[in-house]
Amino acid sequence: MLGPAAVVAAALLVSVGVLAGAGADPLAALAALGGGAFGDRFALVDTLVKSCPLALTGLAVAIAFRSGVWNIGAEGQLLAGALAATAAAHAAAERPLALAAALASAVAAGALWAGLAAALKLRRQVNEVIATIMLNFIAARLVGFAVHGPLMETAGHYPQSDVLPAAAHLPTLGGGLHGGIALALGAVPLVWLVLHRTALGFRWRAAGDNYYATHLAGLAPARATMSAMLVSGGLAGLAGGIEVTGVTHRLFEQFSGGQGYTAIAVALLARLHPGWVAVSALFFGALTAGAGAMQRSAGVSAVFASIVQATVILALLAAEAPRFAHRRGRRRDDLAPRAGTAA
Amino acid sequence: MSRRLARLVAAVVVLGGVGACTRGGNDGGFKVALLNPGPISDAGWNAAAYEGLLAIRDQLGAEISQVETRTPPEFEQAYRDYARRGFRLVIGHGFEFQDAAAKVAPEFPGTVFLTTSGNTVRPNVAPIVFRLEEATFVLGELAARMAPDGAACAVGGMEIPSVKSTFIAFQAGAAHAKPGYPVTTSYLGTWDDVGAARTATLALADRGCRFVLQNADAAGPGVFQAAGERGIYAFGSNRAQHEVAPNAVLASAVIDIPAAFVAVAREVKDHTFTSRIIEEHMADGAIAVVFNPALETKIPADVRNAIRETEAAIRAGELKVPTAEF
Repeated sequence: MLGPAAVVAAALLVSVGVLAGAGADPLAALAALGGGAFGDRFALVDTLVKSCPLALTGLAVAIAFRSGVWNIGAEGQLLAGALAATAAAHAAAERPLALAAALASAVAAGALWAGLAAALKLRRQVNEVIATIMLNFIAARLVGFAVHGPLMETAGHYPQSDVLPAAAHLPTLGGGLHGGIALALGAVPLVWLVLHRTALGFRWRAAGDNYYATHLAGLAPARATMSAMLVSGGLAGLAGGIEVTGVTHRLFEQFSGGQGYTAIAVALLARLHPGWVAVSALFFGALTAGAGAMQRSAGVSAVFASIVQATVILALLAAEAPRFAHRRGRRRDDLAPRAGTAA
Repeated sequence: MSRRLARLVAAVVVLGGVGACTRGGNDGGFKVALLNPGPISDAGWNAAAYEGLLAIRDQLGAEISQVETRTPPEFEQAYRDYARRGFRLVIGHGFEFQDAAAKVAPEFPGTVFLTTSGNTVRPNVAPIVFRLEEATFVLGELAARMAPDGAACAVGGMEIPSVKSTFIAFQAGAAHAKPGYPVTTSYLGTWDDVGAARTATLALADRGCRFVLQNADAAGPGVFQAAGERGIYAFGSNRAQHEVAPNAVLASAVIDIPAAFVAVAREVKDHTFTSRIIEEHMADGAIAVVFNPALETKIPADVRNAIRETEAAIRAGELKVPTAEF
């Protein structure tokens, strides 16, 4: 089995091959990519800002996957969070607790969005992969509706919300960094602690490892599924709330750009370990930040970053496939509802 | 575990180190950058702008750079990054770039921030407004005259004033030929979902639309595809698009973006640029209706003459084309 570092190296190698094949200068492109990610203060800040939502959604995915729930809906939960934060911030206007209200609404909305999928799974045996993906589209449409309707800017020109009231802006830590990064950094050890040092985390992991045995042991795996999804959705929602209060200060169509999907790669590269999620989020954040700079200074399309991401995921799947196959053979499939294992 | 961490960190650091050495500073030459809201392979709005950028390079010897930006934070970041690197002219290609331009511009007085469309004017921020409405008006009239008992429709990317305005003129053109002529509009909410564009167009065609105008950039080919499937005519926008779908596109509302870009870039290069709203009209030859040579014969002679008269009236300023207020 290959380590994640080898996976990343293999993916980069393949991507460089693609670059060379397309007639670009791979070294210049990689240099521009690295420069855009770490080259100076602005680049570093950009990387951290881009990593922040990936870390939170990555943690969200890791919690769900560890609990045996395939939550593909971090994207929708992030959007639900961003939408709720925007609505709450505008409702609170310049009142002192506007920021807290916005972030709390974001967490609640994300949890609600994931909870819907969990309820469908537990009550109606709806596969959560389908449910969470569908809810992603619904969330995107809701954001579209909101910025064309109730939340549209007063000027009425562009489908976006007005700038959030200043009271709802996340404080800056200087140099373009926002307070959300501290929240994301704090979430990493917290999630690890819950997952590995609490009864709740034990139930999650038990349900994820063997739903049937957990059921026989009287640990109520259905409740673990629900609580894992609520926490997972809450974290993804928080990511959306932080993006809107810390970075964009507005809601608009195409708000996320797929961070909730990248989160799956972030979590898988980290092998669902919270500590590694932070490192892996930094890697993907650097890739995103570097890709823009690479297009600006080396003329290589930012789509290249998507190629790297895709090859990382493919290499990861190739490296991990034996492990998943082994797991599937070990599990019993006769108790519904339960998580799919068809990865 | 810690060895794995060390390796990953090492990989990240190496990547960063390589980059750190190559991040260049400002140098002398005339540099121009273009920010596109979508892929330059869209054979329309973005492709035309890229041709404009290439024309600036070829005719003015500028060093050029282009980047695709999707969200307001990316607009701002790209504007700022180019300005910091000494680009004298940075063009945000669309109405949606105004806020970012106005926000970044005060920090970089030596850079001109141009937006294509809009009304934001600052000492170093200016819009070029292409009155594409003058051409979509003519297309609306063409539709209503060719199918007086039919209906027309329009498919847009995002519902922004610059797109809405072309549809208002399209509708007005149809009404000019036949008062009350039905025109339905539909917005996709994205600039690049070809599938959504196709589905929307199929639905519109099934509800009786005989002529469909697209203004959806990279999603536009979906409109042409659906038009071909249903055997209705499509109208292109921003660029002559009949090469994209020779059997479906009857005509296009076209902007000569390269000429406009080169003119502004020359002013910036020669330090003669003054900030203002730069308008481009059919009368200047910047806006035109271009027919698909393969399908042009399908247009009856009397319709063709009526269209020519309308074009002449617009050029002469006798006919004022309605636009959205923005």
